[in-house]
Amino acid sequence: MKIFVVIPGFNEEKYLEKVLHDILKITKNVVYIDDGSHDKSAIIAKKHLQDVLVHEVNLGKGAALKTGCEYAFKKLKADAVVFMDSDKQHNPSDLSKFIKKLEGGADVVFGVRAFDAHTPFIRLYGNKFASFFFNLLFGKYITDIPSGYKAITRSVYKKLEWTAVGYEVEIEIAARVAKNNISYEIVEIKTIYHDVDKGVSLLDALNIMKFLVQLKLSL
Amino acid sequence: MISIIQILSVIFGIFMLYVVRIHRKKEVLDRNEVFFWNTLWLGFIYVAFFPQTFRGLIQRLQIARVFDLLVIVAFMIITFITFQNRITIKNLSRKLEEIIRKKALYEKSKISKN
Repeated sequence: MKIFVVIPGFNEEKYLEKVLHDILKITKNVVYIDDGSHDKSAIIAKKHLQDVLVHEVNLGKGAALKTGCEYAFKKLKADAVVFMDSDKQHNPSDLSKFIKKLEGGADVVFGVRAFDAHTPFIRLYGNKFASFFFNLLFGKYITDIPSGYKAITRSVYKKLEWTAVGYEVEIEIAARVAKNNISYEIVEIKTIYHDVDKGVSLLDALNIMKFLVQLKLSL
Repeated sequence: MISIIQILSVIFGIFMLYVVRIHRKKEVLDRNEVFFWNTLWLGFIYVAFFPQTFRGLIQRLQIARVFDLLVIVAFMIITFITFQNRITIKNLSRKLEEIIRKKALYEKSKISKN
């Protein structure tokens, strides 16, 4: 099974070298999408990878993932892709869990963080609330919906066709999986938080809730 | 006796006629658009000078003043324009996303061929 890691990034020069270095130890099949960065992210990526795509302006994570998927599935003939973030919040050693599930026949694999006592309070309860709200609207309880560590196969990508361009893509993917009754598997991934964490703000969280309701009405 | 609000409304109307003229000179507006906007603002100035023209209408609509009627109509127009703007922005965002992504994929395939 041909599996590619798709990594979107925006101004990630701080961590990108290390992230790519660690991933390349596990697999050479990596596609990086530079989403209109102003720093040296694209240069760093091109130093390590053959498959680097560059958006001229910043569009958002959802758009970058779409570009990466189109490239991986159409040009590279990938059978499946694993999405990873480029800010060192995803441990490359967890990749093997996704690959194992995909090779075992899974169509969608959600990476779920094991929240513990070190998890910031807002992050923990925000996450729980998001899953609760999602379950209310879509009838499926998926833990850690905002996690960007996930995998999908080519056939599922054709069904998902998300429209979200920003962070809300994670929510939309989960919503479309639930709506289309696509079976999914869960893998536990390591929880990593940085001191300076771009993450999701309260305003983002409110936008995500609004987006969930819009999705429910439109799907 | 003309009120201050009427004077301000007339000045505003004249200013908007001037704005239309500028955009016509810059060839942003075509002839039909200029005709439409000039008619609108001249009509606005007329209403500002002669609000009593609409006394019959406002009595039928049970509105107290011509000014109130103008506010209601203006609010409807603004709502409509806001809605149209939202649709336009949504379409433009989608098209921009398509162009940027297609360009990224095209540039990559060009590099691969070389």
